[in-house]
Amino acid sequence: MNLPHYFIADLPPEAVLSAAMITEACQTLKRNREKYLVSRPTQSLIELLGGLAAAWRQPEFSFRRLALEHGPAATGFSRATLAKGLDGFFAQITPQNLHALLVQELGHARRLDGLVSTGPEEISCRAATAFGPDMLVHIAAGNLPNPALTSLVLGVLTRSAQFVKCASGASFLPRLFAHSLYEADPKLGACLELAEWRGGDVALETALFAEADCVTATGDDETLAAIRARLPAQTRFVGYGRRVSFGFVARGALSGTNPKKIVSLAAADVVAWNQLGCLSPHVFYVEAGGSVSPVDFAALLADELAGCEAAEPRGELPPGTAARIAALRDIYEVRAAHLPDTRVWKSSNSTAWTVVFETDPRFQLSCLNRFIHIKPVAHLTEALQAADAVQGQVSTVGLAAPEHEQRELARQLARWGATRVCPLGRMQHPPLTWRHDGRPPLGDLVRWSDLEF
Amino acid sequence: MTSDLPLFAARLREFISICESEPECFAPGAEPALREHNDAEFNGFALVLFARQFEHNSPYRKFCESRLVLPDTVSHWTQIPALPVAAFKEFEVSCLPRAERTRVFYSSGTTGQQPSRHFHHAESLALYETSLLAWFRAHLLRQPASEISNFDWLILTPPTAQALNSSLVHMLESIRRQLAAPAAAVVGRVAGDSQWTLDFERALTALHAAVESERPLIIPGTAFSFVHLLDFLAEKNLRFSLPPGSRVMETGGYKNRSRTLPKTDLHALITQRLGIPPSHIVCEYGMSELSSQAYDRVAGDEWRGTNSGSVPVPPPPVTRHFRFPPWARARIVSLETGREVADGQTGLVRVVDLANVFSVLALQTEDLAIRRGEAFELVGRAELAEPRGCSLLAAEIAAP
Repeated sequence: MNLPHYFIADLPPEAVLSAAMITEACQTLKRNREKYLVSRPTQSLIELLGGLAAAWRQPEFSFRRLALEHGPAATGFSRATLAKGLDGFFAQITPQNLHALLVQELGHARRLDGLVSTGPEEISCRAATAFGPDMLVHIAAGNLPNPALTSLVLGVLTRSAQFVKCASGASFLPRLFAHSLYEADPKLGACLELAEWRGGDVALETALFAEADCVTATGDDETLAAIRARLPAQTRFVGYGRRVSFGFVARGALSGTNPKKIVSLAAADVVAWNQLGCLSPHVFYVEAGGSVSPVDFAALLADELAGCEAAEPRGELPPGTAARIAALRDIYEVRAAHLPDTRVWKSSNSTAWTVVFETDPRFQLSCLNRFIHIKPVAHLTEALQAADAVQGQVSTVGLAAPEHEQRELARQLARWGATRVCPLGRMQHPPLTWRHDGRPPLGDLVRWSDLEF
Repeated sequence: MTSDLPLFAARLREFISICESEPECFAPGAEPALREHNDAEFNGFALVLFARQFEHNSPYRKFCESRLVLPDTVSHWTQIPALPVAAFKEFEVSCLPRAERTRVFYSSGTTGQQPSRHFHHAESLALYETSLLAWFRAHLLRQPASEISNFDWLILTPPTAQALNSSLVHMLESIRRQLAAPAAAVVGRVAGDSQWTLDFERALTALHAAVESERPLIIPGTAFSFVHLLDFLAEKNLRFSLPPGSRVMETGGYKNRSRTLPKTDLHALITQRLGIPPSHIVCEYGMSELSSQAYDRVAGDEWRGTNSGSVPVPPPPVTRHFRFPPWARARIVSLETGREVADGQTGLVRVVDLANVFSVLALQTEDLAIRRGEAFELVGRAELAEPRGCSLLAAEIAAP
């Protein structure tokens, strides 16, 4: 794959990065931002992003073709998984959604362009404007491209110079997206930088943090704490920690001809991005007493996953990851041989997918890559008690329930601490306006200036 | 009830003693006809033992039944269902009635995890000792008996009294006892937190004594014990030039008990601080669930390549290939299909150990290895979250 050398991440792998390179790159970005980006109207950025996202969904778009052609080798995702994942992501980046995001977060779509007033502000004789950080640094985690791509989109809206530090081996898709931005608008592209190194390189990161006004980071708690500790006091930090997700299927959802549909939505959540994101389910809690029992639900899900594998293969795994699946399957099969309360369904001659049914409702972390746990519960309350080990760490709950029950179940889940409840089948496809881990995505980045008159 | 198993054990001990007296018959480079004979003999042993264990070992029987494999349906040892080692944690995988069990070995897993339990009695321990001693001798002590008595011993594991449930400690204790090395310095200690440490002063005394007496030293220990010792020597800025013929038996696994070093680095440090060349550093692969071990070279021997030609293959700089004794066989099986991988491919180690007479002969390990002919190169262990172990949850949640 031959891309022009716009970014540090385009350098050959043997290139040695230095702190001086990082400092110089940041200073160039800031100068370019002053020249090309600061005075761009928000509307033109919305149009640019909307147009680019629409292009990414076109089969002939050159960057999409590169992503699908080289992506399987670079990321481990199959072509079909990549195509679905990218389509799901870019479908959200529309002018309407970008507009809605600005209104949700800042009260007014032109808040970043100058002093404006919303109705209530008008009444209280106020106007306000908001500014993004001059220099926005993203420390991206490795698993999925979505968080890094979203960060880039938000940073374009806030008109920030941006530096994305990718985890080692994980720059492929962010890099293609950055190149597509560069090609669509070279001046904007000149305000972006991308690099890849193994996290914790103190020399490079100290140079980078010294230039940043705001740092966003995804990673485990230790990584986040380590980054926060090394930031200058005035630098804003937005950290997204480890999260897990699960699904809940109410008995009422499994009636009539519905079960098949619910099962296929559940399978879609397991298959999306090979279950590797924070929003992917580890467990489906299934309420007993419906017309399909939880164990039958597990069997149906296994059939569905087998079908998905044909259309959208999981792809190859590194030996260590496959070994983990093989060893875990072994453990559950030993249990299944002895205890009627454990059942295992699995792909034959591959580790492609695994369904484990256990009557023990305790939340179980999955080893992911399409390995899903099904647990029967009497009601949501039992599921939440069983998941107390992850309370406060749950991002998304995929919910399948009759319409009249949904609000009440969502209320219980929200009180318990889940930050997002969505329909089953959409767990890995949050809207652009999604409040990431319960925080305002754009609101956390900006600084306000108020005028009273 | 299990009288047929002691009979089998007796036959196997006889077989082991034949292997010891005629090692060339069982060498990897043996004549094809001989190999065929060995294969048939191994197969015969394995099928008989499988049928007996199927009868006497109920957790194993249930597992085989769930795989729809019965003794009648198996004609070759490779078809015997390999029980995942994790089963030793959750079930009593033993042919011994509870009343007959006199000893149990626990696996040395990560803190907080339930250990494996391998039950023994006098007879199974005797077989364990026969098996381990024969293969240890073949790799660490290929010397005439008269020379063996010239060695001194520095054992880095704790004495048996402090670690009754460690199969490794039992192994080294039986070697010490049977090789009449009463003067061995056993310098491992079990600390209050049940972690293994070293009595550094005693270790130093043994090292100095070896240098003064010019008697070669045999040093068996775990990788982390060597790290403890080497770190101590580095801190004191001490280097030893142990007498020629001194040797190390290092057995893998750090289990978070010391900093982790790549094997080549550990061996380089051993050479640097103790003066023992790589040709005399022998790695052992064993586990509490087995009764036989694999070694990756013969101390002081020329490199033993895995091809069967007569020309010795020069040692590649890093690679070492593990080999089980003739009464145990390892196969490297595909992570995806469970079938044996081609030469040079990576998979999980599956072992059929005939010396596991009173538990289960066929085990599926969680260790990753590359197949090298009939031997293997160890890569690592599948990192497992303990299912149902929610206490570890917070530390294991995957990054977003």
